[in-house]
Amino acid sequence: MSLVGADRFKSRAAAALADANLKLAIDRTTRTARAKREAAVADWPGFSKARDLGRRIKDHVIENLDHYLVEFERNAVASGAIVHYAASAGEACEIVIRICREADAQTITRSKSMLGEEIGLPHALDAAGLTRIETDLAEHIVQLSNDRPSHIIWPALHHTREDIAALFREHHHTPQNSDDVAGMVASARRQLRAGFLGADVGISGANFLIADSGAICTVTNEGNAELTTTIPRVHIVTAGIEKLVPSLTHAFILLRLLVRSATGADITQYTTFHCGPKRTGDRDGPEAFHIVLVDNGRTRMLAEGLGEMLRCLRCGACMNHCVVYNEIGGHAYGGVYPGPMGAVLTPVLDGLEKSRDLAHACTLNGRCQEVCPVDIPLPAMLRGWRDKSWAQGLEPNTQRGMIGLWAFAAARPDLYRFGTRLAMRAVRLFANGGWIEKLPLAAGWTRYRDFPKPAARTFFEQYQAQKRRPNA
Amino acid sequence: MSAREDMLAAIRRALPRERDPQDIAATAEALALESIESRPRLPNSDLAEAFAARLVSDKVVGASVDRVARLEDAPAAVRRYCAVHGLDPTLVLQPDPDLQKLNWSGFTISASIGGDETLAVARARWAIAETGTLVFHSSPESPTLLSFLPLHHICIIDRAKILAHLEDYANAERSAPAPRNVNLITGASGTADIEGALVRGAHGPAFLHAIIVG
Repeated sequence: MSLVGADRFKSRAAAALADANLKLAIDRTTRTARAKREAAVADWPGFSKARDLGRRIKDHVIENLDHYLVEFERNAVASGAIVHYAASAGEACEIVIRICREADAQTITRSKSMLGEEIGLPHALDAAGLTRIETDLAEHIVQLSNDRPSHIIWPALHHTREDIAALFREHHHTPQNSDDVAGMVASARRQLRAGFLGADVGISGANFLIADSGAICTVTNEGNAELTTTIPRVHIVTAGIEKLVPSLTHAFILLRLLVRSATGADITQYTTFHCGPKRTGDRDGPEAFHIVLVDNGRTRMLAEGLGEMLRCLRCGACMNHCVVYNEIGGHAYGGVYPGPMGAVLTPVLDGLEKSRDLAHACTLNGRCQEVCPVDIPLPAMLRGWRDKSWAQGLEPNTQRGMIGLWAFAAARPDLYRFGTRLAMRAVRLFANGGWIEKLPLAAGWTRYRDFPKPAARTFFEQYQAQKRRPNA
Repeated sequence: MSAREDMLAAIRRALPRERDPQDIAATAEALALESIESRPRLPNSDLAEAFAARLVSDKVVGASVDRVARLEDAPAAVRRYCAVHGLDPTLVLQPDPDLQKLNWSGFTISASIGGDETLAVARARWAIAETGTLVFHSSPESPTLLSFLPLHHICIIDRAKILAHLEDYANAERSAPAPRNVNLITGASGTADIEGALVRGAHGPAFLHAIIVG
């Protein structure tokens, strides 16, 4: 998407940091998410063993992706599904829109899917003149407010309940008369029920593609996926090829990890396996069942050493625990996927040149990998993007010049020691007590926090002094 | 099908070695079996007790449970539920032959489901004690929407069909062809989309009631 731009990341981040309401909204959700995940993990003695098993299952699938893709296709076709392949986001949207047109569809219900967001499907449906109804409560909020998701599990996390109450009062036929969350949820239920019943096509994503049956799995807490996929004449699934698992049992093993990491529950209220269209005698279900299998950079990731990222279950734990995400929120990242996993994926989807700042907007504290249910080495992958950005000459000249200067000095110990000695003494002149409130060339730091006053002598000077003292 | 061929070719270029499908299947099977070592332990070896306790715990949203000795006692249990919740004795009954044979006198029964039903009564195929989950397979005798459109969802489950873990369900149905829909239902519909606060009755039922038979 064109929203990504190196200079624009900094301005978006600055705008987000200045938005106190946003900070409040992010904090209300991620604080709960962290506490619930921690409790769920503490409650399950087998978690670390299961996490290791989950990682190996995903690696096994990725190592044999062609095998499982062919097996899935064979079984899906046998169940009556029509399987499509899309190399790019654009191709995937074209296929979906063609199916909608062939079905003479007017109204389309959609159940939240990150792959759908990734390929820009909501926008493509609107541009094709189709009536799109987002049925996930958060996506409904995002649709009404005409903005973008800011989290992969809670897309409307950037809205406070006060914002949402006002939004529903403006748009709903019979809005809630109080600002409590239950009233708002009831209002959305009333509003969306007619949409569910009148839709021609339902579109969902898939959390898993089950190779040995050809079924696809959706998980929701609201029940909107089932209403989206059972009532309309046509069900279209869009899914990334990395969602394959060998069998139902493997899906269950990963589900335990996914749900606990995402919301802290042990299972979602609704976990549904969809296998083909309506069968003889069935009283409900879609007449046609299409599965669009999407590459969109995934085979390139495999070829370029980013295969570990294909393990990702899209649980959102990495962003809930990320100090940067918690300060700036999802929109500042500019891509579809925010947070640590987004900083790794966005350069694949949008190009490194436009998104190289994301890999730098990371403290490398390692928390994301610790909470990742499939142990993706996110910090190492972010460092990999920094290396690539340097090697491809994408870092700005001033930065290259400064680092060149540092490298020149670092290779000459006497010059380096002289320089650091001088710098420390100069910096100490700005101190007031133990802290420095304002420092030339470091306004970016001191605007938000004081800089500690350096010690009187450099580490090397202290080290030399210690060495000279015989019994120290 | 050129997009398909391109995708497979790109994968095979990135994964240069050939592997025997039998080896792949053996590795997958070994991985599946390993879950025995890590799956959550049940608090009670009696599966009906464990399932019932789980349903009414704070881990499951909006669920309640009742127990009866025989399937014939189910209508009386449904009547009790209606009384507790102040509901008219009007319900949609799953077109399951065994349920249809029961004595539903005093109830107004509807066979098909509309967009805004109050109460549906259905028989679940399996239950899973680990998570407090009820499992439905879609079929002419078990429409999917029965579990999603009503406000109150009453699920009847035979004690003998309560399994311990999710994997046990996969094993129990291993040799059977996959139905169109498998619905694993755990409690009432809910959402945490507004500030992470959990609210029940988002789009699906706001109440789930299990009746364990036997």
